[in-house]
Amino acid sequence: MRWSNIRLVFWRECRDQLRDRRTLFTIAVLPLLLYPLLAISVFQVAQFRHDHPSRVWVIGAKRLPTQPSLLSGDRFSDGLVDSATQELIALGSAPPNWIALSQKALSERVQQEIQQGHVDAVVLFPDDFSLRLEELNRQMAKRPTGEGKPVVQFSEIPEPTLFLNTANDKSRLAAQRTKQVLQSWREQIVRAGLRSRQIPVSATRPFRVAHVDLAEAGHEQLAFWSRLLPFVVMIWALTGAFYPAIDLCAGEKERGTLETLLTSPADRREIVCGKLLTVTTFSSATAVLNLSSLVLTGTLFFGQMELIDGAQPLRIGTPPITAVVWLLMVLIPISALFSALSLGIAVFARSNKEGQYYLMPLLLVCLPLMILPVLPASELDAGTSLIPLSGILLLLRTLIEGDYLQAARYCLPVLGVTGLGCWLAIHWAVHQFNQESVLFRESERVGLRSGLKHWWRHRQATPGVTGALCCGLLLLFIRFFAGSQASMPATWRDFVSSQLLVQVGLLAVPAILLARLLGRRVRDGLLLRWPGYKPVMAGGLLAFCFHPLGMELTQLIHNLYPLSDAIGKQLRELESIMGPASLGTLLLTMAVLPAICEELTFRGLLFSGLRRSGRPGFTILTSSLFFGAIHGVFQQSLSAFVVGILIGGLAWKTTSILPGILFHCTYNALSVLLGLVVPLYLPTQPLLQLFFDGADGALRYHPLVVGSGGLACLAIGSWFRGMRVNTYPAQPVRDQRPDTPATDSLSATPIA
Amino acid sequence: MIRVHQLSKIYTDWQHGDSIALNAISFAAKRGEIYGLLGTNGAGKTTALRILATVLAPSSGNATIDGCDVVKDSALVRQKIGFVSSNTAIYDRMTAWELVTYFGRLHGLEPELLRDRMEGVFAQLEMHDFRDVLGAKMSSGMKQKTSIARALIHDPPVLIFDEATVGLDVLAGRSLLDTVCVLRDQGKCIVFSTHIMREAERLCDKVAILHRGRFLAEGNWRDLSQQHGHADLEELFFELIREDRSIHSASSPPASAGGETSVSMAASGLT
Repeated sequence: MRWSNIRLVFWRECRDQLRDRRTLFTIAVLPLLLYPLLAISVFQVAQFRHDHPSRVWVIGAKRLPTQPSLLSGDRFSDGLVDSATQELIALGSAPPNWIALSQKALSERVQQEIQQGHVDAVVLFPDDFSLRLEELNRQMAKRPTGEGKPVVQFSEIPEPTLFLNTANDKSRLAAQRTKQVLQSWREQIVRAGLRSRQIPVSATRPFRVAHVDLAEAGHEQLAFWSRLLPFVVMIWALTGAFYPAIDLCAGEKERGTLETLLTSPADRREIVCGKLLTVTTFSSATAVLNLSSLVLTGTLFFGQMELIDGAQPLRIGTPPITAVVWLLMVLIPISALFSALSLGIAVFARSNKEGQYYLMPLLLVCLPLMILPVLPASELDAGTSLIPLSGILLLLRTLIEGDYLQAARYCLPVLGVTGLGCWLAIHWAVHQFNQESVLFRESERVGLRSGLKHWWRHRQATPGVTGALCCGLLLLFIRFFAGSQASMPATWRDFVSSQLLVQVGLLAVPAILLARLLGRRVRDGLLLRWPGYKPVMAGGLLAFCFHPLGMELTQLIHNLYPLSDAIGKQLRELESIMGPASLGTLLLTMAVLPAICEELTFRGLLFSGLRRSGRPGFTILTSSLFFGAIHGVFQQSLSAFVVGILIGGLAWKTTSILPGILFHCTYNALSVLLGLVVPLYLPTQPLLQLFFDGADGALRYHPLVVGSGGLACLAIGSWFRGMRVNTYPAQPVRDQRPDTPATDSLSATPIA
Repeated sequence: MIRVHQLSKIYTDWQHGDSIALNAISFAAKRGEIYGLLGTNGAGKTTALRILATVLAPSSGNATIDGCDVVKDSALVRQKIGFVSSNTAIYDRMTAWELVTYFGRLHGLEPELLRDRMEGVFAQLEMHDFRDVLGAKMSSGMKQKTSIARALIHDPPVLIFDEATVGLDVLAGRSLLDTVCVLRDQGKCIVFSTHIMREAERLCDKVAILHRGRFLAEGNWRDLSQQHGHADLEELFFELIREDRSIHSASSPPASAGGETSVSMAASGLT
């Protein structure tokens, strides 16, 4: 690569972007105006804000006790609530005939009045409320004291009823204020009763809980800014990367200048690097300008504002300078990551308009990862440090909060994952630029009807890539929709039925039907082909050797991302209902059935379609992603994804699902045996003790077995690697002339 | 100067299967010669020229420019060619002067040499009047001139014009054709694709009629007219296309009637 060419491309793109008013507006003008305008708006709105007085009607007010009194004229008595609240309650009388209404009729009338805005809440005191209250006081006064005296049974007092509409903010607020008054009045009644019996009032509250807040001065503000600032920087780094990336790729394609650039002596890596540098620069600039504007506005405006968080208002304070320093340090890798991702996506778009449509999916993927660290319970640990974007946000949060020890502990994994993400994204962007199908993608303006007709006539032996992706999404949707409707099986029989329904009804049968519908040959569409004994047996052997490694991987995943209590409980319940099952039934249900049905779906239907792309990495990873996603539980999905990659490799090399079925079946069977059978015999069988270790309560393979299994996997893998890739079923090349013989698909090698 | 041997290009289409855009074409063009590629839209002209310009990779066969293979020595090939497309490919936010300078620098020209070349090319193409006009504000003729200046700035021995007169008015079109003649006279080897037969008659020393990715006829156009008994290139072109279509429809079974539709869809935009 020649740096001079990269620099040339970089400077040209920068100048081009700086001459674009839209880019300048997004990068410079918007951030400089956004936060001050936001702050001014908040202040303006706050000036107009006033407390809404609540209109409350009381039914049965005339029969209320006078000592202590609830009402004083047309308002609540003094001393029940603070004067400010008292001023905000406007008491009124309900129509006199309401007292005779039934509860249901009264509810309807009150609802009507609330909807019409005549009243916000209504309190109903029953007819005998006052009489019963006096009766209670009398009973209390007469109650015998001393040991051995019988306990008097106090009569119950009918409850006053508060009518409100919780869907209406004003009504909810009125009810809250009224409740406060009534509670205060109730306490006064209790205190009066106690005083009449000469019992100290403190008897009702023998002690109080004192609070000592150990938070250091300013720490609360730090916690607030440590969540807000990294999130804002991330969002703007992404936005600042995407729009220039669209212009630099899709815009160039639209204007036709990309083709010209490709005929220049600059090679494609140089062009990508130049563009990547430009996008990274603009992404960083957007984030820095937003950060500066936010910090400045925060210092000038937000420093005076208070957040109502619980009982104590929290003063936001000014953003800490250390936060800015840390953010600037981490900004470059974040911007580079987003820029490479954006560039890779944007080059796929044919026009600026199309490019903008691709922003939403990228945001949808990134946003949950960015929101996760803002959630209160999330913190930097071994598991979260390995999550892309979330890890770096949590690291930033930890650094801003000043917990340097914790940050140092997980700094390497976070930066490692981010660096790996950057490298992969850049690699992908360069790869995209080398794809003719991406650079010269033409729009196909085909109507739905004619398109469907054309597709049906010309469908191939197996589904296409798009068909496979649609099938995967459809099956995922069906699986999760059915899963959300299903209840937890209570018995073993229920479990078997649900397994049959899921595996056969929701996976295998739809897969066969879709293979028939989307392709001409079902067997090809499901990769049902005999590859020979050796590959099939090698698949089973590979599962046997990989199982110890797989178990270690599962353990690692569970250590990094522990199961939630609810999921753990469900799994324990599931294990408990397996008690009455025989080993044979267990193996059939847990190993054989999923192996056949899931392989038909993921390495059959999906894989046969995806492999038409001619790219093994894409095919194996995508089918594994679907395979992992179908498992539902996150931890299980992760290990299934890894296993899916292995089985995908087998399917790619052998063009058959049979080795995969045997692998899947053996792997699951070993897991069942390890979980249910081995623990029973381990204490008494010395042979088993050679392979397994159950000393610390958890059954695991001996490290020696794990290592040997790994080596055996490598040996089997290299055997498979040496196999010639079978191109069955060969894709015929459709020629324009019928007399031209079909040509083997020739891969188009990109020119560097 | 240009040698193309059995060049084929197959486009892989995820949806519709693969389709052949170029089917084993061969030709050669010499220094000081204009070679015309004639064909309808979708015939494969742009694909062939993009392969020569190293933008696309051939599926089979080979092509060399001044002895350099378009696949193996793609960087060298790009130094030796200037590519002008029908899409003028001008940056909207760059002036003509900035754009040509940019490409000159990409070609590694030293600042002084670049300045001399710029002055020469701008004078030759009469571009000084609009040298500081932004691309977005240029007329089609100005854009095409800028595009030619960009292609000429490094003084390449080979020039590739892909339907360069499309969208130009009569004056601009005539001016471009005159420029091409001048370049030929300067000893450049020029490949000129068009579907306007009159242009080809006027300019080209040799022509090839390309249809559905295959050459239907190739050679000196006067020889071709004698061979087929047509004084007019346009008539010759129509006859060859008609013949090819009749052969195609006679040998094509009724069930494959959708074949042509699918090919044209797959190759849409690939003129």
